[in-house]
Amino acid sequence: MRGAVIPITMVPGDSPLHKIAPLPKLAWSFGVLIIAFMTRNPAILGTIILAGLLLTTIAQIWKPMLRVMIVLFPVFVISIFLQSIAPAFPKPWNPIVGFGPFTIYQEGIYSGITMFGRAFGMTLFAMVTIMTTHPSDLFASLEKIGMPYVLNFILTVTLQLIPILQREFGTVLSAQKSRGMKGTGFGAVLPSMVPVFVGAIERVQQLSISLESRAFGSTGNKTSYRNVVMRPSDYIILVSGLLATFATGYWILVDKSLDWSRSMTFSPTLSISLVVSAGLIFTSFVTIAIFKIIKT
Amino acid sequence: MAGESLLPPLPNYGYKNMAKKKPVIEFRNLTFSYQLQEIPALKNINLTIYEGEYVAILGLNGAGKTTLQLCINGVIPNMIFGDFEGDVLVNGLNTQEYPTREMAKIVGMVFDNPEFQLTQTSVAEEVALGLENLGIPTVEMHPIIEDALETVGLDGLQERSPFALSGGQQQRLAIASALAMKPQIFVMDEPTSNIDPIGKEEVIAVAAKLNKEKHMTVILAEHEVEVIAQFADHVIVIHEGEIILDGTPHEVFAQVEKLEKIGLRVPQVTEFAYRLEKEYGVKVKEYPIKIDEAEQFAADTFKK
Amino acid sequence: MSEALIVCENLTHIYDGEVVAVQDINLTIQKGELIGVIGQNGSGKTTLVKHFNGLLKPTKGKVFVNGNDTAGMRIQELAKSVGYVFQNPNHQLFAKTVREELEFGPTNLGVPEDEVKERVNKAFKFFNLEKYRESHPYRISFPLRKLVGMASIYTMRPDVFILDEPTTGQDHITTRIVYQLIERLRNEGATVICVAHDMILLAEVVERMIVMRDSQIIADTDPRTVFSDKDLMASTHLTPPQITELSYRMRDNKQIKNLALSINGLLEETSKNFNLKRSK
Repeated sequence: MRGAVIPITMVPGDSPLHKIAPLPKLAWSFGVLIIAFMTRNPAILGTIILAGLLLTTIAQIWKPMLRVMIVLFPVFVISIFLQSIAPAFPKPWNPIVGFGPFTIYQEGIYSGITMFGRAFGMTLFAMVTIMTTHPSDLFASLEKIGMPYVLNFILTVTLQLIPILQREFGTVLSAQKSRGMKGTGFGAVLPSMVPVFVGAIERVQQLSISLESRAFGSTGNKTSYRNVVMRPSDYIILVSGLLATFATGYWILVDKSLDWSRSMTFSPTLSISLVVSAGLIFTSFVTIAIFKIIKT
Repeated sequence: MAGESLLPPLPNYGYKNMAKKKPVIEFRNLTFSYQLQEIPALKNINLTIYEGEYVAILGLNGAGKTTLQLCINGVIPNMIFGDFEGDVLVNGLNTQEYPTREMAKIVGMVFDNPEFQLTQTSVAEEVALGLENLGIPTVEMHPIIEDALETVGLDGLQERSPFALSGGQQQRLAIASALAMKPQIFVMDEPTSNIDPIGKEEVIAVAAKLNKEKHMTVILAEHEVEVIAQFADHVIVIHEGEIILDGTPHEVFAQVEKLEKIGLRVPQVTEFAYRLEKEYGVKVKEYPIKIDEAEQFAADTFKK
Repeated sequence: MSEALIVCENLTHIYDGEVVAVQDINLTIQKGELIGVIGQNGSGKTTLVKHFNGLLKPTKGKVFVNGNDTAGMRIQELAKSVGYVFQNPNHQLFAKTVREELEFGPTNLGVPEDEVKERVNKAFKFFNLEKYRESHPYRISFPLRKLVGMASIYTMRPDVFILDEPTTGQDHITTRIVYQLIERLRNEGATVICVAHDMILLAEVVERMIVMRDSQIIADTDPRTVFSDKDLMASTHLTPPQITELSYRMRDNKQIKNLALSINGLLEETSKNFNLKRSK
């Protein structure tokens, strides 16, 4: 039960990345997001992924990153499989090889690889940001750039509530199984949600009384304990992030030779092995996941 | 600066001058029924609590302990509605006229489930939350937070997640969070009922410290009568919404039969002395309630 | 003679491959025993008992229930032999009425309908809950809900009842009812294992105490021996009941010879020593 929680939260550490203020990191992640959606060029996406892996190394967060990626990677990989037979790409499609009703297309492979690259690259950057930033600093920074306090507060509380509800659900499920509950399907698990929801409602009621008892909702000015300081180096990183995004974006718009969808070709053997291994990774992941759920 | 307060500034009483006891909480003919409930949860409550007292509230589950405590900081009737008759005055202020968030500066609350009171991602921020709400400038927060965490023995854990703490630590964090707002009165609703023995000891010790060293008025609901006997100087027994006993621990626990009749018990040493008297005809001058008193009682009674 | 119901052989449990929760536990629980498992949070006591009904499986070593290795068994199978009453009844209850709640367990076990009815009727009597037969479990008071939680396991007729903190946060009336129920369960031939911090329960009700600290069993003996060992008590931060503390002091002051764990025990001890006669 304990292993089921994916650590999408800060990993304490002392790396240079941990020391950077949240805003520059957010700017870079956002820049990567924009660039990844602007281009399908495998070289650019590959560079982003490499940079992301390099940052993971610098931040010394390989272990938690792997735990997240074990879950997400198969999901990303499946895009290669799906795209190769049904590309999200303007026709005409050039078939490479076919088996009965299925045909693998040149554009499909290209599109699949680039989609995988986009998702993987973006997630890497986002995860590095999340894992090297204290959530409160992140929220404090978001508040600085205009996110309302109440929304921020709700987000914080929700973030805390997820692992608690996960744990609560685990306990309720154990209690049910201890009473010989049959089956593991959705229908069997559904009654377990009743205690979890009742518990959550009770928790929220109690929380609101407790918060009010701590002057929450006072009319006066609010102050903030977390004070995120931006040092000159943070500004430099922030500005360079913005500049890099603009420069790369401009390059992508202007340089048409970056579109490799026709020039980058795949041999039938390579295509088949890519598609099959993508399918295998995904199915084995799903099988392991189902097996784990049944076993507990 | 701080947000505009609806409250008049508090007079600064010298705690050393305790001879003149000043009432801090007064219940005047309070009757309260929750919405949609016919039977009142509290009936005709008249009660005065004086500054610096350590008050224990004793009663069965559902007797009205929590309801009584929620009236002190105005959660009832301001947040939880119902049929509210009579008055509750805290520091002379009528709770019906001041929202709970204003009362927070006078009354600190701690509830039975520590986890249901915590919201933040670090211990320091949990304590800071109340201060932020009061609009205390950031620079002034740090010493207050340090001080509150030190009082409850959580210094050094500032950056820890509240949810990674033990039950006892969480409950002490909840106390620190209320303490930072510098209340005069601390209301604790069965704060030890969800934690292990170490945690229990820690929380009870902190409550005693707030009373003895910080001279705060402490109001504690608790089932363990031995703990009450050890620390409280004023015991209130509630049964079916009514106060049926109100006095010093010695006065209250001397009513062994009355308490047992409604399903409550007295400290074990008190019951021991009571039964020595009733069943063996041993003369008992005063029932012991604390362990030291019991040892003395045994020494006086059983001279060889 | 006695028969072993639960046997742990070199049981070790490690969470996430790094946190050792229980280490090298060897333990035999006989049929009909009344056991208290005690220790601070994190000492491993909950982890240990969760192995008895298969909620956890050993990382190393073996656990046998009624002679069967739990490793190959599902919780649902073990539920026939071992009933686990959770500390918080809210985690357990979900049906629309108390009656349905009590029917849930035996129905899952495949007990025929007539017998389910009979068991439920008996449970209502045993727990004195007849008044609440058709009430919604969330509409009755918390102490009663706790009893419903116990009753919902009782209808499954397990050989072993594991009670997780049966009295914590309860008032005196409920606590006393729980003590009586534990004894009655045992009188019906069940084995009862209480995971508890309630010192009075341990001093007066249970017959065997398993004390845990740092993932290991540091004492496994009768309550009298545990409570006599002040160092052991202090090392696990356990405070004896007030009456036991008084009897320590009276013994130190040479007023009594033997330690007493309960009020009755101390009354007996003192009356014997000072020739006190019952007045009626």
